[in-house]
Amino acid sequence: MARKRKRNVTGAISSVKATDLENMPVFRVEQSLQGRVSGLTITSASGQPGEGSTVRVRGTTTIGNSDPLYVVDGVPVNGGIDYLSQSDIASIDVLKDAASAAIYGTQGANGVIIITTKKEIRSRKVNYNGFVGTQAPWRKLDLLNATEYATLLNEANLAAGMAIAYPNPSSLGKGTDWQAAVFNDNALIQNHEVGISGGSERSSYYGSFGYLNQDGIVATSNSNYKRFTARFNSTHKIGRIATFGTNIGYTRTKSQGVGTNGEWGTPLNRAINLDPITPLVETDPTKINQAPYTNSPYIVRDANGNPYGISTLVTSEILNPIAALKVGQGNGWSDKFVANGFLELEPIAGLKFRSNIGTDLAFWGDESFQPLFYLNSINQNVDLNGYTRNSNRGMYWIWENTLSYTRSIQDHNFTVLAGTSAQKNYGESQGGTKRGIPVERFEDASLNFSVPQTNQFFWGGEYQTALSSLFGRVTYDYDGRYLLNAIVRRDGSSRFGPNNKYGVFPSVSAGWVISRESFFGVSDKISFLKLRGSYGVNGNDRIGDFRYVSTIGGGRNYTINGVLIPGFSPNAIANPDLKWESTSQLNIGLDAVIFKNLSVTLEWYNKKTYDMLLGIDVPGYVGNSGPIGNIADMENRGVELELGYNGKIGDVSYSITGNISHLRNRVTYLGDDKQFLGGQTFGPQGVEMTRIMTGYPIGSFYGFTTAGLFQTNADVANHKNHNGDLLQPNASPGDIRFVDINGDGVIDNDDRGIIGDPTPDWSYGFTLNAAWKGFDLTFFGQGVAGNEVFQAIRRFDLPTANYTKEALGRWTGEGTSNYFPRLVRNDPNMNFSRSSDFFLKPGDYFRIKTMQIGYTFRSNTLQKAGISKLRLYVMSNNLATFTRYSGFDPEIGGGSYGVDRGIYPQARSFMVGVNLGFN
Amino acid sequence: MKQRISKYSLITLLTASILGGCSKSFLELEPRGTQLEANFYKNQTEIYQGLVAIYDVMQWGNSGGYTMKMPLLTVASDEAHAGGSDASDQPSWVAYDNFPMLDPYRGPQLGLWQKNYSGVYRANLFISKAESATGLDANFLSRTVAEAKALRAYFYFDLVRFFKNIPLIVGPIPTSELYSLTQADPADVFAQIEKDLTEAIVDLPLTIPVSENGRISKGGAKALLAKVIMFQNQDARMGQAAQLLNEVNGSGVYSLLSNYGDIHNPANRFSSESIWEIPHSSLSAWGDWGWINGGEGNVGPQFIGMADYSGPTYSAGWGFAPISLDLVNAMNGDPRFEYTIIDGQALKSGGANYNERYQNTDYFIKKYAPMQAFRSPVGTAELNWPYNEIEIRLADTYLLEAEALLRSGGDAARAGLLLNGGPGFEGVRSRVGLPPVAVTLANVYNERRLELATEGHRFFDLVRTGQAPTALASKGFTAGTHEVLPIPQQEIDVTKNSLKQNPNY
Repeated sequence: MARKRKRNVTGAISSVKATDLENMPVFRVEQSLQGRVSGLTITSASGQPGEGSTVRVRGTTTIGNSDPLYVVDGVPVNGGIDYLSQSDIASIDVLKDAASAAIYGTQGANGVIIITTKKEIRSRKVNYNGFVGTQAPWRKLDLLNATEYATLLNEANLAAGMAIAYPNPSSLGKGTDWQAAVFNDNALIQNHEVGISGGSERSSYYGSFGYLNQDGIVATSNSNYKRFTARFNSTHKIGRIATFGTNIGYTRTKSQGVGTNGEWGTPLNRAINLDPITPLVETDPTKINQAPYTNSPYIVRDANGNPYGISTLVTSEILNPIAALKVGQGNGWSDKFVANGFLELEPIAGLKFRSNIGTDLAFWGDESFQPLFYLNSINQNVDLNGYTRNSNRGMYWIWENTLSYTRSIQDHNFTVLAGTSAQKNYGESQGGTKRGIPVERFEDASLNFSVPQTNQFFWGGEYQTALSSLFGRVTYDYDGRYLLNAIVRRDGSSRFGPNNKYGVFPSVSAGWVISRESFFGVSDKISFLKLRGSYGVNGNDRIGDFRYVSTIGGGRNYTINGVLIPGFSPNAIANPDLKWESTSQLNIGLDAVIFKNLSVTLEWYNKKTYDMLLGIDVPGYVGNSGPIGNIADMENRGVELELGYNGKIGDVSYSITGNISHLRNRVTYLGDDKQFLGGQTFGPQGVEMTRIMTGYPIGSFYGFTTAGLFQTNADVANHKNHNGDLLQPNASPGDIRFVDINGDGVIDNDDRGIIGDPTPDWSYGFTLNAAWKGFDLTFFGQGVAGNEVFQAIRRFDLPTANYTKEALGRWTGEGTSNYFPRLVRNDPNMNFSRSSDFFLKPGDYFRIKTMQIGYTFRSNTLQKAGISKLRLYVMSNNLATFTRYSGFDPEIGGGSYGVDRGIYPQARSFMVGVNLGFN
Repeated sequence: MKQRISKYSLITLLTASILGGCSKSFLELEPRGTQLEANFYKNQTEIYQGLVAIYDVMQWGNSGGYTMKMPLLTVASDEAHAGGSDASDQPSWVAYDNFPMLDPYRGPQLGLWQKNYSGVYRANLFISKAESATGLDANFLSRTVAEAKALRAYFYFDLVRFFKNIPLIVGPIPTSELYSLTQADPADVFAQIEKDLTEAIVDLPLTIPVSENGRISKGGAKALLAKVIMFQNQDARMGQAAQLLNEVNGSGVYSLLSNYGDIHNPANRFSSESIWEIPHSSLSAWGDWGWINGGEGNVGPQFIGMADYSGPTYSAGWGFAPISLDLVNAMNGDPRFEYTIIDGQALKSGGANYNERYQNTDYFIKKYAPMQAFRSPVGTAELNWPYNEIEIRLADTYLLEAEALLRSGGDAARAGLLLNGGPGFEGVRSRVGLPPVAVTLANVYNERRLELATEGHRFFDLVRTGQAPTALASKGFTAGTHEVLPIPQQEIDVTKNSLKQNPNY
């Protein structure tokens, strides 16, 4: 489905071209879109090498999987697009409105990102692009040192009527800096890409090799990423009527990763919460010869044989992060082939038949080794070691055939297209563990070792889905003035029952190029003006397979005489009436070119999702889970503006592009009388932090509203209800004053409500390119505004967890603080154990993503040596971030969207690179 | 010529592709490796797997909140406090320990409701599928259906004890009634439970071979039926209960262990004293905190273990259910003390250590305390304690029979034998070397408290005999309210008030 000329486009499509990306190395396609096109909210899941981003095209479209569809050279790609090397990309188009996405039918509702790889360069060329650099965290937290920690712990103990724990806090000094132990201020990165292209009139090719090696800035020994890519694209003309081509990409990755944003013992969460009194490594012989160091022979030790410090103050998952990294070893790998071949026939001028077969064949897996270890009383493995491998294979294929006819009769230009598509996706997984293998190190672990049958475990599974479609499109324009585009697509999915297998998704769009009207005349001010509108419906079938029937599930086991007997029962109640989820969208846009070199695109849209696929609540007395049903509704509205300007001042040529988007998301319906769905929780108590609630943006923050601190006993006494009862009888001066939102005279869980939104209202980006003689400068910044971050970096359930230095400004007497409450060990007022706006911080930021200065050498000597291009550059990624947020990073995507549990931050990096071209 | 060939090939390709795109069978995939409900339960193996799925529910400890009955009911009674890291650790346990805190949202009700109705659902489904299956061995069918009925009775007994006013469902729920069931008269629920057990007793085997340890016996169903009758607390029916218990106690199948300490030794499964025992194991080496019921382990020991314990014998737990000083004082000097209660101070003076947690008393449950020797080497050890739960044991049925005899004016001499023992007869007290006491109802009740301490019997004993308002006064127990839990608010919401809340909640 060929790209159309921008002038004739009637939908909302934003594009990024290779030339825009060339000088800005990034490691994943999502990152090259962040801040560059309007209507996209891209939030990195974390700064761990190889990690993806949360990508939302015009907001969150559905409560289920809201990721856009990625189509690479006509092949919808599953499981992420980190396999693409940036320099292989020729262009990226983001289809934002329903009419543009309609040709992708069922899968287009979340927006479509179309990536075309490089091809068809007729002159022979060899290019090398490479850079090396160093990365570091751009910010660390100010945590309490040992003296401060002990002082505050004493204070909290006294306030709770307990004895002080440290008679002489200053004797403890600064203690351990756990962040220094976990962070790497010099994590290396290097990237090399070689591209070769060439060809003739009838045949052209493009081939490339790429290598990326990135160390993580957190726990580098366990967090790094290597990627090798190879690509070969070619196009051939056969005879007069046939064109044949292939695009073949292969990618291999190997990575190690740590938990990136969680309270269950990620390296950073441990570094934040672990007390600074415990040493990194215990060297005092007296202590080494006492509990806990004598508790087990499997205490983890450093190279000198000294045990890593074991905290007796903070327990559970919050333990020595470095010791934990020694025992949590493993890696992940993948081999992925994405390839397609097409044949295009044009037997008569204008009549084209095109057949495209694409596959995405992926192999991926992981291995991990659990040695014998003792980290603390709860985290230990003192019986048998274990080595686990998982491997998976996924096979996806698509076969698409289209027949189109293009004809122009006088000023009437039309194209009709009809097509079919069949897709199948299937795969399998298997994994196993052997316990008690005779090795001690991950490097030596293997499944080759023989162990008794009872120490071997094996598991596996498989999946399959199929999709089959018919579609048609009519494109018409009169004199390039009046544009019309209509699409209808009928999709059938194996995920629905016989009664609802098929869904029909129509769309229509139209444009009016006003500047071509005779009445418009020739204007110096406005050289191009187009008004356009579109409406369409897209579908979504992203649920599990076979959810319309009642399937039998295993694992309902029971031990009879010491033997595990398998049991089976239905997984859920059936819902034979399950059908497609639909999203409709109305889009109105305006394109203009003003003063010849200022381009403007303005969009307005209203997107509605209905029949959303969600689990149905059934009463508990039914005794089984409810089925998936078509339940909820959601709405996204927004406006987008893209601007571009090219200019020249003396010898300096420059271009400025910018974009800004505003988005409003609302959940409008969740089912009869259903007001909310649960969201993210924190800690072992499962404190609710977010909810999906009707009338509010998806995943809004949920909790109590606070009104400062009680300064005096009189303040506590005055906080009462209409009967004169104290609203917070357990409070003392220095505690948080909670608001009785529902006015029922008591402060309880019913006083919680929506207190903030993790999704930005505004996203924007700004690029400046300038060139002067051989020098070039690129400045690219990106930001968001109007969102909050829930800062949940401290494990409040562990009273001895460390604090940030913010705690030094706690309330210590009347007038000392109206924000940070007093510290008291048992926290009777639940200052820290209730979700409240106390934890919410503004999430706005502006980040200088890229700053680059390059110099291109031009000399005859080089030309004679066959070097067509030689450019050297220095650059920085994430040079500066401007934000009021005090955590590691305001950008928090992924599964813990908007909730900071000690996020693995994005690195600030400095690189030097070279672009080299040979003829 | 070339052009013509291309045209033909074009038409061929197009035809083929349109066929491919339209073909209906292309979309009709058969689930592989997954059975459909519609064609499962068709042979003896699958029927048995359906039965196992009912048994499975008995060992659940987490189904919308932690609900391990032994420690949870110990907390609800005067035997222990909630404990844990603080009052916000397990609010539902804290609320059951402090009755005025129970409300339609807070308390252990949702987990208990979901667990037991899951069991009811699986039993109902099994009975309807098994009864419509053909070609099954008659003995197999009668025994498995009897087991399903006994299990359904077990789940309903917990539901009616915990909630009193519950919907009574004994078959598939029509789709039109999914959201509109109402609560049954508790008398009808009890009648159904008794009917199920009475029918089950007929077909259940008297003894269970070792290879089937974990399945329900005739004695188990009879003992449960007696408990169900006695829970209804009508003196007129105590004779019937005494008769049933007499049949169990005199069946010759069961005997008291000579050493009291052996009863709860985790290695000593399905002893001669055990009548209804729920097995747990670490065989399903589970490591998933998101689906704890997927494993076969018992989370109870992890809950009640000493927090961050280091020292010999025991393994660290989370410090829930610290023993109340009431129970410590009541058991002072009793030979069963050392098998029932861990004295933390004594351990500390012996060099061990642990962290004091919320409501610490330095006394801990011993009968199912986590021990290093049993810590699961596989999966997540916390979830995989291989400690069976003894739901009914002989000392319990002895004391129940003694009580029923006394309350029905039956054979007081036999009641005395059961309580105290006598020549040629080991009674509850003689087994642990205690001298006889007067054969009074008060003494039987007191013996139950000491003999069965922390095993999850005390709370319902207090409730059924009307002693709860006085015994649990210090925990804020109000007569007429806290005998039952609130109906989970989620149930009332989703049925749009078709279910009514229990009084005073």
